[in-house]
Amino acid sequence: MKKLPCFPRELSPEVASNKKFTIMSIIKSMLRYSVALMLAGVVLLTGDVAARQVTDGIGRQILVPDNPVRVVALAPSITEIVFALGQEQRLVGISQFSDFPQEAQRLPQVGSFIRPDIEKIIALNPDICIAIKDGNPREVAVQLESLHIPVYAVDPLDLESIMTMVLQIGDLLNVGDRAQTIVTGMKLRIDRVREQVTRTKQRPGVFFQISVSPIVSVGKGTFIDDLIQMAGGTNLCAGYSSYPRLSREQVVVLSPDVLIVSTMHQDVSIDQIKAEWAGWSQIPAVRDGRIAIVDSNIFNRPTPRQVDALQQLVRVIHPELFKDSP
Amino acid sequence: MTAGPNKLLLRMTVVSAVLLLSLVVALVMGLSLGSTHQGFDAIINTLMGQSPSDPMLQAIIWQIRFPRVLLAALVGAALSAGGLVFQALLRNPLAEPYILGISGGAAIGGIIGIILGFSRFPGVTLMAFAGSMCTLMLVMIISSGQSILKKDALLLSGVMINAFCSAVIMFLISMTQDARLHNIIFWLMGDMSMTDLRQVGILSAILIPGFILFFCLSHAMNLLLMGREMAMSMGLQLKTITLTLLVATSFMVSATVSYCGLIGFVGLVIPHLLRMVLGPDHRILVPACILGGGAYMVLCDLLARTLSQQGEMPAGVITALIGAPLFIVLLKRSNR
Repeated sequence: MKKLPCFPRELSPEVASNKKFTIMSIIKSMLRYSVALMLAGVVLLTGDVAARQVTDGIGRQILVPDNPVRVVALAPSITEIVFALGQEQRLVGISQFSDFPQEAQRLPQVGSFIRPDIEKIIALNPDICIAIKDGNPREVAVQLESLHIPVYAVDPLDLESIMTMVLQIGDLLNVGDRAQTIVTGMKLRIDRVREQVTRTKQRPGVFFQISVSPIVSVGKGTFIDDLIQMAGGTNLCAGYSSYPRLSREQVVVLSPDVLIVSTMHQDVSIDQIKAEWAGWSQIPAVRDGRIAIVDSNIFNRPTPRQVDALQQLVRVIHPELFKDSP
Repeated sequence: MTAGPNKLLLRMTVVSAVLLLSLVVALVMGLSLGSTHQGFDAIINTLMGQSPSDPMLQAIIWQIRFPRVLLAALVGAALSAGGLVFQALLRNPLAEPYILGISGGAAIGGIIGIILGFSRFPGVTLMAFAGSMCTLMLVMIISSGQSILKKDALLLSGVMINAFCSAVIMFLISMTQDARLHNIIFWLMGDMSMTDLRQVGILSAILIPGFILFFCLSHAMNLLLMGREMAMSMGLQLKTITLTLLVATSFMVSATVSYCGLIGFVGLVIPHLLRMVLGPDHRILVPACILGGGAYMVLCDLLARTLSQQGEMPAGVITALIGAPLFIVLLKRSNR
């Protein structure tokens, strides 16, 4: 660490004088020290770690360490991806609710996705933070960068960009090959689903409910909308904004063939959901009993597990394709 | 007001010194505690600039906590001084920017500003100011012309305007469908987490002239409290002073609302407590409210930061949890 120049005595006569302990002088010296210490902090935090210039997932040029060893994941999906890449030994902090894989829960948490706790992040002394453009507040990234902690932002919007994101994080952590393997696997499975879906002309109307009360569905530009289309369904709410609230009346009018409820609570049972809709036998999905519950974590999080979600969705939307094979 | 000028000055100095000390203690506590637990002596060393302790601790203290405690102190000072001024101007002990709906109006303006994508300053602040001026005018219009019921009319119109403001806020929130929503909800309950020294600088540039103005007009507030006729007979430019103070207070409240949302009851609790202890002289109450309000808010924010292990809560939750019951107790006692 470089030695900081001392402040010349002449500039602070009140410190030199015998009125050393007046409140003003204490405040002034505190302020002066604070500036000096901030400078010291900058010198130490940037350190002499070798760095390279990269373009992050949203096109910003940032300086990142050659080999990041203290990574903070600012979203549960980032945690999952770092684990999937087998680089969990680099993680020093994770976003709250990072519950997959299980081992992740042992790591220190740094506040939620929407409200990261900057103080906790700094205390972990990370050499990089990985953030998601939509969700992590921009102010947090700005503040972290002003503290010389690089923030690598990714911007997953659909399956395609999730694969890009895996590759980007793989490159960042110097495990490009592993990332490529994951993405190749994802592509294979996606292609298989595409092929399955071409075998049928039917495109059942799907009502995907992400909240039971109030009824909230998913509109265009969301992961789930993308998945429903790929799984050979018609998202009945595609014409709405991203997360529309609907009344029962509207759902009846949409008359879905399939009703899917995603939940993160294990204690919500299919019977409860069915009971909730039982009185509405005008709805084809209710009449035919085509109501399903899925795990919202694999549907909402931009991770390789969205391919699992896709495969699950095909089975729910087109059970006829799987009559022969279990 | 029977005391001679020297005695007044002495009292002012003593009161200010005591409250300044409590503010400094609050600030040091605010700097020492947070969501991460650092050794207390390491923190004191860092605060005193002693050892060149580790840079991580310095970043936490000076770049995360320092702007935040300053912001809290400024906001607390502005809100409690604002409450004091409102109580004097409207001659109503229950008057407070939050209760009269002034903060609510500022919040509506601020939310519109946020939805329109304005920057915090000057865009959102000016929108908040416009909102607060509108509600202030509404409160004045509704409550004027009913001299007998004046006190109650004022509060009732404030309550109604507040209800209307919350409805408009919910309306605006329901109409927006985007990621900014979460921030708006937190901001509504009083959020101080996102701040840096530049913002604190801007806010103090707005607030400190207001504090000086309050202090200069503190004697006028004393006269106002004795009644309009009395004040007028003593040669007070009644309209000018009332208007200046109302506009200045609204602007200051709008600035705090645009920076950290709705924080209620500070303007009730602190002036009341201090008035009970120090008596009704505004020349002493104004500096006391500024310093005491600052200390109170720093402590409330400290609680908000550290109470929950699940992440922090908005500071407005703490001020309301402490403020509302305390105020009811005070009210009961003063009625007896």
